[in-house]
Amino acid sequence: MSMSAGDSNTGLTNEPNVTPMIDVLLVLLIIFMMVIPMSRKAIDTQLPDPTPRPAPPGPPPDQIVLEVLPNNQFALNKTPVQKDALFNRLKETYNGRPEKIIFIKGDTTVAYSDVIFAMDQARGAGVTIIGVPPKG
Amino acid sequence: MGMSAGGGAAVKAEPNVTPMIDVMLVLLIIFMIVVPAINAGFNAIPPEAQSVATHPEDDQNDQVLGIDSDGNYYLNKRPIAQDQLAAAVKGIFENREEHIMYVKAHKDLKYVKVIDAMDILAHNGVAVAALITEQKPGTESLVESDRVKAKAK
Repeated sequence: MSMSAGDSNTGLTNEPNVTPMIDVLLVLLIIFMMVIPMSRKAIDTQLPDPTPRPAPPGPPPDQIVLEVLPNNQFALNKTPVQKDALFNRLKETYNGRPEKIIFIKGDTTVAYSDVIFAMDQARGAGVTIIGVPPKG
Repeated sequence: MGMSAGGGAAVKAEPNVTPMIDVMLVLLIIFMIVVPAINAGFNAIPPEAQSVATHPEDDQNDQVLGIDSDGNYYLNKRPIAQDQLAAAVKGIFENREEHIMYVKAHKDLKYVKVIDAMDILAHNGVAVAALITEQKPGTESLVESDRVKAKAK
């Protein structure tokens, strides 16, 4: 590295060998490039209002509630839906519907990942606001 | 380094490993420092999902509630008992403008553990719970605005 065939062989090169330093700096650079732009992936959910106002009179609003039931069962406004049909059902429901709001109600016995699956499918089908109904 | 004053006749055929060792040592030191800092106290594997939004990470400002595989709560990586969580969350969110809290829960938990936590959060000033997930490998969000944000980061 510090020897070159082309040069006159008489002189010793006097410059410091910078190659190892550059190696180290490049590695540092790569590591910081990987570490710094960290971002996290998340699904936003709207939590219930702790001081609910009394329900407005008149017919109930046509909100959509997706229930996550045990054994991979789902129910969209009380209508049972199979796991693999869920996405298409949600897509049909939200196509042409202006309010992209869903309430996802998980049964107390289901796994967290099943609820995340439901939220994932809902977002994929165009839902922008996911609400979590109050506990109980 | 490549020239030796003593035996001028022989050309060395071995590779010069010194730069490599330098690099390896630096890598070793960096990982020794970084790994415990990342995993300090709390470790949970979030569930995987496809259509997830990208949030910029701001360690100074973001409030993260962790729930590990045993159901223990961690507020910003520090363990906290369930009966102290409500007061701690209230203290944080009383004077904040942003009412968002990240919830990093382990993927194999029962949902009841997460809804319990969200119930505590809802009663103590949190309006939005962002459930932390991993992007399923090889997939891209189906929501267009997510894809734009993911590329912009």
